[in-house]
Amino acid sequence: MHSAGALKGWNMATTETQLMLSVGLIEKDVNGDTLWVWCFPSVDPDVRPVLLSKCCLTQDGRDLHTFVFGQFRRAWYYITTVEVQEPTALKKVTHFSIVVTAKDFNPEKYSALSRILCRMYINDGSPVKMMEAYLTVLTKGICQSDENGSFLIKDYDVRRAYLAGSIKDVVSQFGLETIILYTALMLKKRIVVHHPRIEALLEFTRVLPALTWHRKDWSILHPYVHLTDPELEDLKKCPGYVAGFVDPEVSNRSDLFDVYVNLTDSVITVSQNAKDAMTMGKLHKEVGLLIVQSAEDSERSDSQVIKDISVKTKEILANLVALADECEDSKLTLEGLKQHHFPPATENFLFHLAAAEQLLRI
Amino acid sequence: MEEVDKILIHALKQVGTEVSEEIDSVRQFSSELIVQAVVRCIQVIDPGLGSSLPTSLPPGMSARFRVGMSLAQACQEIGYKGEIGYQTFLYSNEPEIRSLLMCLVEKLPREGAETSDQPTGKSVVLQRGIAAAIKAQLAVPWLPTHCRLPLNIETQSPEALHSFHAQPLRLSPFTKGPEKKQLKVKKNYQRDILPPVTAQLSFHTSLMASLLEKHTDELSAAQEWDNEWNSQGLLSRLTPKEYRSRKLTRLRKRVKEQLRAAEVPASESAFGGSRSNTDLFELLQTFKGSALSDLILTKGTHFTHTKKFTFEQESASVTNPIPSGHQSESDIQDRQQMELAALQHQFQQLCSDGDQLTADMKHISVTNTQMLNELKQSELGISEKENKMQVKKKTIGLLPDADDNLLKLQVLVEASTKRLVNLASQWEKHRAPHMDEYRTLKEICSNHDLESSRMMSEIRSLHDKIRISTEEARKKEEMYKQLVTELENLPQDVSRSAYTQRILEIVSNIKKQKEEITKILSDTKELQKEINNLTGKLDRTFAVTDELVFKDAKKDESVRKSYKYLAALHESCNQLIQTIEETGTILREIRDLEEQIETENGNKTVSNLERILDDYKCIRHENSALAAKVREG
Repeated sequence: MHSAGALKGWNMATTETQLMLSVGLIEKDVNGDTLWVWCFPSVDPDVRPVLLSKCCLTQDGRDLHTFVFGQFRRAWYYITTVEVQEPTALKKVTHFSIVVTAKDFNPEKYSALSRILCRMYINDGSPVKMMEAYLTVLTKGICQSDENGSFLIKDYDVRRAYLAGSIKDVVSQFGLETIILYTALMLKKRIVVHHPRIEALLEFTRVLPALTWHRKDWSILHPYVHLTDPELEDLKKCPGYVAGFVDPEVSNRSDLFDVYVNLTDSVITVSQNAKDAMTMGKLHKEVGLLIVQSAEDSERSDSQVIKDISVKTKEILANLVALADECEDSKLTLEGLKQHHFPPATENFLFHLAAAEQLLRI
Repeated sequence: MEEVDKILIHALKQVGTEVSEEIDSVRQFSSELIVQAVVRCIQVIDPGLGSSLPTSLPPGMSARFRVGMSLAQACQEIGYKGEIGYQTFLYSNEPEIRSLLMCLVEKLPREGAETSDQPTGKSVVLQRGIAAAIKAQLAVPWLPTHCRLPLNIETQSPEALHSFHAQPLRLSPFTKGPEKKQLKVKKNYQRDILPPVTAQLSFHTSLMASLLEKHTDELSAAQEWDNEWNSQGLLSRLTPKEYRSRKLTRLRKRVKEQLRAAEVPASESAFGGSRSNTDLFELLQTFKGSALSDLILTKGTHFTHTKKFTFEQESASVTNPIPSGHQSESDIQDRQQMELAALQHQFQQLCSDGDQLTADMKHISVTNTQMLNELKQSELGISEKENKMQVKKKTIGLLPDADDNLLKLQVLVEASTKRLVNLASQWEKHRAPHMDEYRTLKEICSNHDLESSRMMSEIRSLHDKIRISTEEARKKEEMYKQLVTELENLPQDVSRSAYTQRILEIVSNIKKQKEEITKILSDTKELQKEINNLTGKLDRTFAVTDELVFKDAKKDESVRKSYKYLAALHESCNQLIQTIEETGTILREIRDLEEQIETENGNKTVSNLERILDDYKCIRHENSALAAKVREG
């Protein structure tokens, strides 16, 4: 019994490998300095400046971004910033941020956790209590919050994080042009989104990988990138990505994208070197109309729209697999594709899609 | 009175009156002189009034009379408040003339007001001299070469003029203070090798221009540096050397950036971004223009190259058969057609080859990306699987005794958690004081910064004040020097210091006299009071005595007699006192009359009366003559 109870308590932690990597603390004091004051267990010295740059306390603007997240070196960081108000045990600190790094994408979970940690830190004035709570979450998956409740990891399923964005908003903003985003994602191209406000950027980009729901791959998402060398190097390691920039200079960096989305003006542009891969034909129009129709239907929820899209995608992929099976060792070749005499745009699309889905013969 | 007269005479001389040297007081002015002086003054004061007045008395009596009247009128219009009429000029007396002349001289416009408006500075004196000299030269009329006086040849001939042509000069720099560290080589160069300025020029005539140019150059550079240093340099809190070096690097960077920005061709910026249409960019484009065309030639595709090559080959093969004898026309045509077909065939093949190559390239790039993807994924998968394998290995190792191991693990984890928390609290004990210290030190530092910036601004304001004060001091010095030179140049006939001394003396005299007068007045008051007292006492005493004695006088005879004597005594004393008072009054009257006699004596009344009588006789003569003329004609 004893062991069974203990076993249950340990269930959470053992079902998944350790996801949380570290927790760090950035403080801004009355002198105007923003300093990295504490972390556990450790943060790589190369990563620290990047995290500091993401924290809004180091930026010149007045506005406080309470919660931002992003990806760097295959780890997700979640930064919660709080302004210190009385009563507090902290002296000489005006603002502080808590940085949680983890391997998984789950903004809601880490936002909730960070809030609890923030409150602890404000009340206690020392990070020890915070660390205790972090360790309990790490080992037991549960943590007592001071708001008559507790934080349970199992409440925050990753699927909920994937579906938390609103695909309907994307379709309502871009209409039929959403098909360009769909095509780019399917073909694993590089998409760059620009918006001066980080919150809008995060909200928009987090939902884009849902268009290729069959892959459920949010590692292509880099929602908050600055035009600095370490970050761009890290970005270039990924063959296809969705990257969000607040810096308007990114529009001049045609080496970074195949598709450029200007979120403020709602303009999507395809760059020159990607144009022939992204030619669209009847098939695309069909899919685009389906997306628009499904999103405009007010009775269907966001997750239902995503489901509709993924059904269509699966259909296309099934066709492709069927085509591939006709060839030797289930790998498609261009000649094999040409025999079916598809219209050139569709043929081109299927060819590139086969490459993206690794169905092409080398 | 003499000083007043001297001043008047001096002023009148300045106005233009011809006062001879022997006359040194107004008493000696004749009527002619008076009239001349007054007319000249009026002409200066008010040219409109003065133009109609003659400067000398006409001979005829009636004319003189008329002139006198008009002069009196003019003087009244100018503003003389005293009594004035023709008699003031024709039959003058000293005090009236003196007051009239003083009034006129005061009304003369002041010349001193002009100089105070002009700018000060000893260069101004020089400039005025230059202006005067140039004016004089311009005033000289132009004459042809052979008619000119040798005095003017130098200034009027064109050889004296040269165009302003400045040449660069090398001067040894002026170092403030002993520069002991100056290199020996430099010193030797300056002493032995560097030629003097006059020898450095190829045209001797450009010496002035070159010197002026060099000096202005250095002066403007120094001024600009001063301005920049005072405004930005002090703010940056660097030494001048550091500031200069920083400025240099900054400028170099900017130049580099400009060139770099112009270098990037416009096509690189996406969607025809911002093309810098600066002149620099266009200039660089012209440089590139020729180069680009070369590039185009060299960048030609493999296809065009082969084409050229094949053409050359073909042309070589074509040219060969031609000189080898004459062929028939049809044969030539056939051959040409065959060659054309072959070339066309080759061309088509090359086209298809090119297409094939492009398709291959596309295919390869696509498969390449797929390969890379696969590679990446497998790499990631490998690392993840390795991690998982490690964990699973360990778990397998612990499986045999699962429950116990689980418990042990739990205990271990809790223990390490506690240890970690403990360590963290210990670390916190070390960290917190350090953070506090850092923050307090930072605060102190920023306070120091505030202090130093405040002191900087104070220093700057002090600098400004110093500058302003030095400016003012310099200006005052220059003004002083200028005034001293002007003072030396002034004519020495009128010595103001003598006048000022005299005035001060007179003032002190008057003060003394006033004191004496007040003393005398107070004495007089005292005396008067005493007299009143005594008179009062006398009356009262007499009244009392009178009564006393009168009472007894009814009874006694001797007392009656003594009463009579008392009354007589009182009477006589009263008379005495009266006489004394009258004597005093008469003495005062005598004094007044004597004064009046003196003033009247100065009026030359007797001579004036004789003259009036004479003139009256003349006028009567003239009248009768005129009447006779009228009767005749």
